[in-house]
Amino acid sequence: MKEYLKKNNDIGSNYSIHKKKNTFLSHITIFIILFTAYNLQGQTPNDALMMPSKNICVLLSYDHGQFDRYWEKDYLRRNETIATVNRETILPMAAIGIFDNLNLYLGLPYVKTESSEPNGGKFIGAKGFQDFGISLKYKAFEKTIGIGQLSLFSTIGYTTPATNYLSDYMPYSLGFGAPEFSLRGIAQYKFKNGFYVRGMLAHLWRGYTEAERDYYYNNGSYYSAIMDVPNAWNFEGILGIWLLNNSMKLELNYTGLKSTSGDDIRPYNAAQPTNKVKFDRIGASIQYYIPAIKGLGVVGYHNRVVNGLNTAKFSNTGIGLTFQFNFIKDKNQEQDAQ
Amino acid sequence: MRNKHYKITLIIFVFLLEVSCEKEIPTKLNYENYAYSGTDVNGGNWEPILIDSGTDIEVSVPESVTSETYKSEISALKASISNLSSDQKKAIDYWTNNPVVRWNEIALELIAKYNLIPGPNDDDTYTLPNPNNPEGPPGFPFAHPPYACRALAYLSVAQYDGLVSAWHYKYEYNRSAPYQQDASITYAYEPNDIPSYPSDGAVLARVSKNVLSAMFPLENEYLQKLEDEHLESLMLSGGNVSSDVIAGTNIGDRISEIALERAANDGMKKAQTPKAVSDSIKAAAFERFGWQWDNLEVPVRPVGLTPLFGKVKMWSIDNVEDVRPIPPPQLDSEAYLNDVAILKEYADNMTEERRSIANFWQDGLGTYTPPGHWNRFANQFIVENKMNPLRSARTMAYMNMAIMDAGISCWDAKYYYHYPRPIQKIPGFKTIAGTPNFPSYTSGHSVFSAAAAEVLAYIFPEKASLVRGWAEEAAISRVYGGIHWTFDAEIGTDQGRKVAQYTIDVAKLDGAD
Repeated sequence: MKEYLKKNNDIGSNYSIHKKKNTFLSHITIFIILFTAYNLQGQTPNDALMMPSKNICVLLSYDHGQFDRYWEKDYLRRNETIATVNRETILPMAAIGIFDNLNLYLGLPYVKTESSEPNGGKFIGAKGFQDFGISLKYKAFEKTIGIGQLSLFSTIGYTTPATNYLSDYMPYSLGFGAPEFSLRGIAQYKFKNGFYVRGMLAHLWRGYTEAERDYYYNNGSYYSAIMDVPNAWNFEGILGIWLLNNSMKLELNYTGLKSTSGDDIRPYNAAQPTNKVKFDRIGASIQYYIPAIKGLGVVGYHNRVVNGLNTAKFSNTGIGLTFQFNFIKDKNQEQDAQ
Repeated sequence: MRNKHYKITLIIFVFLLEVSCEKEIPTKLNYENYAYSGTDVNGGNWEPILIDSGTDIEVSVPESVTSETYKSEISALKASISNLSSDQKKAIDYWTNNPVVRWNEIALELIAKYNLIPGPNDDDTYTLPNPNNPEGPPGFPFAHPPYACRALAYLSVAQYDGLVSAWHYKYEYNRSAPYQQDASITYAYEPNDIPSYPSDGAVLARVSKNVLSAMFPLENEYLQKLEDEHLESLMLSGGNVSSDVIAGTNIGDRISEIALERAANDGMKKAQTPKAVSDSIKAAAFERFGWQWDNLEVPVRPVGLTPLFGKVKMWSIDNVEDVRPIPPPQLDSEAYLNDVAILKEYADNMTEERRSIANFWQDGLGTYTPPGHWNRFANQFIVENKMNPLRSARTMAYMNMAIMDAGISCWDAKYYYHYPRPIQKIPGFKTIAGTPNFPSYTSGHSVFSAAAAEVLAYIFPEKASLVRGWAEEAAISRVYGGIHWTFDAEIGTDQGRKVAQYTIDVAKLDGAD
């Protein structure tokens, strides 16, 4: 690839692609270091020492998703060139309790995509590690108010492609291929009887992805391999309940995503990372901590996109195992807050 | 606690500010006006393509610079220049003193906008774009590579002929530019001593608007707006008075009429055949060779892309069969079986290098197509070599004539041999590129690219090995993509070189060298 970008320089283009990307990354890195360092200063050394032995939880999940239709702008298209696109994800993740009110999350999904047979396009699918993610969640507030408890959280997150997967290969691409910085605000109100409601609002700042072609159309010509992945708003509303003496949790959820800019998928044409994506998704999940084996939990969920723009009518189902070292009750509360 | 939150907010704010400031991606070739490397004083005597000579189009004698008419034109010009809006300044910067590049980019953008293959209807039939009902759906045109190469050829040839004519009268009448008549007018671009009557920029604006409007009828309004802006900026730059511009647009109207008349009768109308004709072409190939290409899409497209594009009138070759390549390997031959092994090997061991080569040259649906990609390179070379508009148009004309002839020759081979694609012959074969709706042999990318590279090598000898290398890479990229055999690419490259030679032979005798 670099050879090609250089080729462009040979013939008079002085546009430097790598410079921008590196700047973007270095700022993110600096930011995370600053943020982390800052918080460490604000805590007691004793809390920090307790961290390794108490609050580590690992998750391994398997997800299968698929779609046979997608919204081309707002037109729901069935396209036998790609037939039904299947997407499998294996996600290893770790949640680490740095302090009582500060958690660190690390994750790296492995994704595999392919079309069902028969299909008219004969495209090969894609597979590989997608985006490495790191985030910090901070519990800013917790207080009993009225008949329940109100908690407020804020999360900052950062994901970045872990491999050189090609984002400009939709619908098979593993991800959108750009770094993402996210800032979330979470509010939960939990009633004494175990019911809770939660809301989340996030803004996702998405950087650039790099295609392997240096021209594309996005309501006009772009003479570059760099594609601007639109930023987005992300919302979540959750209705949940703890049952069986706080060992089982059931949730119904709504998730919304709305790009703040971008272009539409053109008629019968492939999607691209610059598209303006919007969707409404509903889902349900269950999480159960097996009493017989200390620290072991299982999760299961199903989601489906019910409405969208420039996105797949995607539904997915996943199962996972969580294992956590020590203090299951404390951990329950932490997970509850996610 | 409060203090802490402020700090976090501040850090986030600074970070976001930096992210948002960096999002700027080029939407055109970034160049500024420049001093031409030459003025081509004898350019008016060069041999044009569509007309016999630059004098074929009549241009009346201009008013003398001492006349009252001219003087009032100058004062009107000065008045408007003294009142430039920021949009007008931007327009002057945008169009530069080589608008050949800009109009070419506009053509490339329209190609990319219209290069969308019609999808199936609900009843699994397909509707073809119809020039008599351009709104569709599907909209007209589908600017696929044959359509694109033809649009670019007519655009460039008409521009070139118009400029030859303009150059002829510039030096015959020798009326110098307003900024040279009146020292109080500052030219927005690098000064030169090319006479300004008739305006070469106006020829380009009018020709380009006319030809592109014919090729992209739904863009008429958009193109008219661009023409108006361009014509205005020619005057506001201090380079032309209104009579220069009017004389230029007159040439533009006449030459685009001649070009579009040729286009109306070049055979393109019949290129997209009905199914019966398409079936008989296929049957003839099966009879001759024992094989046939089939469309594997779901639902099946009943007719391949423009089966009779090979019958369209060529620019520099009388008979397309003169450049028809040798037959491809028999389906049981060693050469063929070797190729099956090579394609499987590439598919099973896709490397990042091959993948990026396949994608870099793919120029597929929704893009400016391979002919557009080579136009982009030519634009860059033209600017790099500081060519004047006449020489730029000449470069584009010969390159796009060769590219169109290459396309015609390639399509002749495609439908004469009707050779199957890899996905049709190799069971379970999958690709990283989309398999197009036409036969395999020879590869369009290979023929287009080799032809373009040869013309560029002729005009920019210092780039010869560079562009020939690119053409070879464009050819093999289709094999890496899994949609072409190696012989499609290799023989296609030879074919493109051979075809281009005919145009280069014409170019060498036109008086410009």
